Order: sequence, then structure tokens, then C-alpha cells
Amino acid sequence: MNPALRAAATGMMAQQTRTEVISNNLANVNTPGFKRSRAHFEDLLYQSIQGQQVLGDPNAQTAPAIQVGRGTRLAGITRMHEQGIVETTGRPLDIMIEGNGFFQLDNGRGETRYTRDGSFQISDQGLLVTSDGWAVQPPVRVPTDASNLSISKNGIVAVTRGRDIEATEIGRIDLVSFANPSGLLSTGRNMYAPTAASGEPVVGVPGDTGMGELQQGSLEGSNVEIVQEMVEMITAMRAYEINSKAIKNADEMGQMANGLLR
Amino acid sequence: MPGPVRINGMSSASASLQMLERRQQVLSNNLANASTRGFKAESPFARLMGNALATTDTVLDTSAGSLTETGNPFDLAIAGNGYFVTQTSAGERFTRDGSFELDADRQLVDGRGNPVLGEDGPIVLRNGKVEIDDQGNVKLDGKSVARLRLEAVADGTRLEHEGGTQFVPDASRLPVAAGERRIRQGFVEESNVNMMLAMTEMIDVLHRFGTAQKTLTTLDSVRGIATTELGKPV
Repeated sequence: MNPALRAAATGMMAQQTRTEVISNNLANVNTPGFKRSRAHFEDLLYQSIQGQQVLGDPNAQTAPAIQVGRGTRLAGITRMHEQGIVETTGRPLDIMIEGNGFFQLDNGRGETRYTRDGSFQISDQGLLVTSDGWAVQPPVRVPTDASNLSISKNGIVAVTRGRDIEATEIGRIDLVSFANPSGLLSTGRNMYAPTAASGEPVVGVPGDTGMGELQQGSLEGSNVEIVQEMVEMITAMRAYEINSKAIKNADEMGQMANGLLR
Repeated sequence: MPGPVRINGMSSASASLQMLERRQQVLSNNLANASTRGFKAESPFARLMGNALATTDTVLDTSAGSLTETGNPFDLAIAGNGYFVTQTSAGERFTRDGSFELDADRQLVDGRGNPVLGEDGPIVLRNGKVEIDDQGNVKLDGKSVARLRLEAVADGTRLEHEGGTQFVPDASRLPVAAGERRIRQGFVEESNVNMMLAMTEMIDVLHRFGTAQKTLTTLDSVRGIATTELGKPV
């Protein structure tokens, strides 16, 4: 196939992938704790084309070799871990992390998963769980006679028991941080699993250096910004279009070359 | 001694067709990489050979791409001159695509897993807050642990492209002076392909291709007349 056609075709495929990633971001614009992603690309191998020799002229110079690239391919999809917007809900079990860090969860199969979606609930056994029923680690058990649950910015969970006046501390929510959060593997449902690239989780107290603080009564919204995604989408569409024009150009040139033989 | 320049319409038109075809290939590759981070376009131009025929030559367009903020600590962009240096199995390579990450050994690597080189070799980062200043000093929890290598080649050097947004360094490579180092953490450099320019150039290529093709067919019909009409009894 004509290399010009092939290179432009890889360009169209790249823009297609880019649009798919943008679509997924846009679909999650209202998902608490969602982090947007971006596809990025690298160029393919280059071929050195020796300069053309001139027909019938023994004294002709040889043109210098030029490098012609063969297009592009997907290099990776990176998640951007900037802070999402604050959504104040006033619900005592909604907790937002302001800054770095993830909540630790037990997925019920003995594995630890990480999330920034702090819309918690209390399970039938009194445990603090996510909407999927995964318990916060270390477990926080809320007694049945508890009222006025409060969570400090340092993660201390306290309640008022029965007719008590003083609050009782019933547990603490720890956070973990990763050297490279973009390296985390997204397992769906707003959960992440550690990988070699993300590094080992480092447990810490909320508010410590390098850790965010907790904020009760708020949720972290998605960090997808519609305008930004739209701009990306328009750019992707234009790049797709221009690559299709490159195909058209190469095709017309091929037709003209064919027209040489009458 | 080169002989006198003989201009031959047929070979001149066919050289033009070849030249334009290559130019289109270079443009297609540039456009395919319109969103490849750190990509540098090849600018095709026509070089006139001693025999008055045109051929395609290219220069690397080293102009900077725009910087986009990602917020990722291992995304680095060079806001000035120079290239990052990576260690590949084929030797050291240059790149401007600074979307780096940590591998299983907590080594700073590029997207293909090649270590990014500091002045003391590969950079290994333990857990902690990583900060990289504009001079390329890598700090872990505030303490300097490494300094990124940033190198450039002499002006006018033809850097060889390699896949994976890498370049093969040239013998003229030199470290970028301290005052000229400008590294931005949390940013990436976008492709420097100018789509508008490429589009207009493609239109130009197509029109010139048409002209060269017409020239060839016209010259051919002239020869056709010469071979079929001449010598016919009147």
C-alpha cells in the first residue's frame, strides 16, 4: 500500500481512540471521584529512502536520503489525578479527600482496593461501607445506639452514644498515597488496584505531609471539565478530518499516476 | 567535470511526480502524528539537483509544541532547548516526550520502559513526594536525589528520527547550560505539527502533481505524433 495512505490511516485510528477516551470522560462527568484520562501516541518506525537517481545522466548527483515515517500508534492512556470539584451534600456519611490520598477498601475477597469516592453507608452489621458494600479498612464499626456521627479532618470518627453528652471515638479512617497514582489500575466502580507502576501504598493519617484532609458532608465530583473535553473532541475531529484529507490526496495522486498510461 | 546540463522534459516531469509523492508521504506522517507528544515534524522542501531536476529533501522542524498541563508528577516538558536522554537496548536516545513513569524497581522510565538518565545514571525514587524543578533537579521530600540529563545538538545538525518519538543523538551533542534549562513538571509538550500549513501544502502537492502529470502526457502525445504522423505520405 502507498505509505502515504497507510500513515494517514494510522492517524485516523489514533484520533478514533482519542475520541473514545474523551467519550468515556464525558460519560462520567457526574461520577463522584472519577478521574479523567487522556490517550497519548508515539510515532512508528522511520524508513530511510535513498535519494532518487536521475535517468540517463551519468554525471547526476544522488539526492540525499530522507526519512519517511510510517504513522502513529497508541502509546498509552494516562489518568489525570487532579482534584475534582467539591460537591456539598450535607450528608454525614459523605466524605471528601481534599488533597492527596485514597480510601482503602476490602472487596470481600481479601484484596484491598482504593477509591476516592467517599459516599459511604452503614451496613447491616454496623460497618462503614461503600455503596457496593465494600468495608473501609481498617474497619469502622458504628454502634446501634449511636447518633451525631462526626468525622474530623484527620480522620477520627466519633459518635454520641445513647444519652451521653460527650462524644466517643469509634475509629479512624486512614488514607494511603501512591508515588505515581497514574499507574494505578482502574478496576471499574471507581476502584483502583496497585500495580508495579503505581508503587506500593503508603498508609498515613489524613492531614499529614503529603496526605489530604477529610471533609465531611461533601463529595469529590469528577474532575472532567466539559468545556475542556469538548475542545479536545473538536481537535480530535479536525485531526481525523485532515488525516482523511491526506488519504484523499494520496488517492487522487495515485489515480493521476494511473492516468499516465492511456 | 560534470557535463552540460541537459533538460529533458520527460525526466524532469517524472522527477517532479516522484518528488511530490514523497512530499505527500512526509505530510501524511506529520498529520498522523498531529497528537503525538514530543513529535517534531519533518518539513519537506524541493532541492534542485545539478541536472536541473527537483527532488524532495526534509529538515527537522525543531520548533516547540504547545505545553499542556496534566498534573502528573512524572510528566515533564522542556520549555526551551534540549532533549531528555534515555537508555535503550540500542544505546542512548533523545526524546522530548516526557510522559514518564516509575517501573517495578521504582526507576524513572519512558513509555517503553527505557530508563530516563540523570547525571549519575538511571534515577530510582523511593516513596515520597517527588518534585522536579526547572533545572531538572529531582527532589524527594525536599532533598535533591538526582539531576536529569538534558542535551542538545549543534544548530543545523540533522537528527535522525526513530520510532517511539525518539531521536538518535549526534556526535555534536552537548549538555544544555544551567542557565538555559527549563523543565516543567506536570506538563507535556504536544506535537508541533501545524495542521493548517500541512493542509495548504497538501493542496499545493495535489495541484503540482496534476501539472506534472499533464506535462508528461502532453510530451508523450508530442512524441506520439512524431512517431505516427511524421513520414506519412502526403
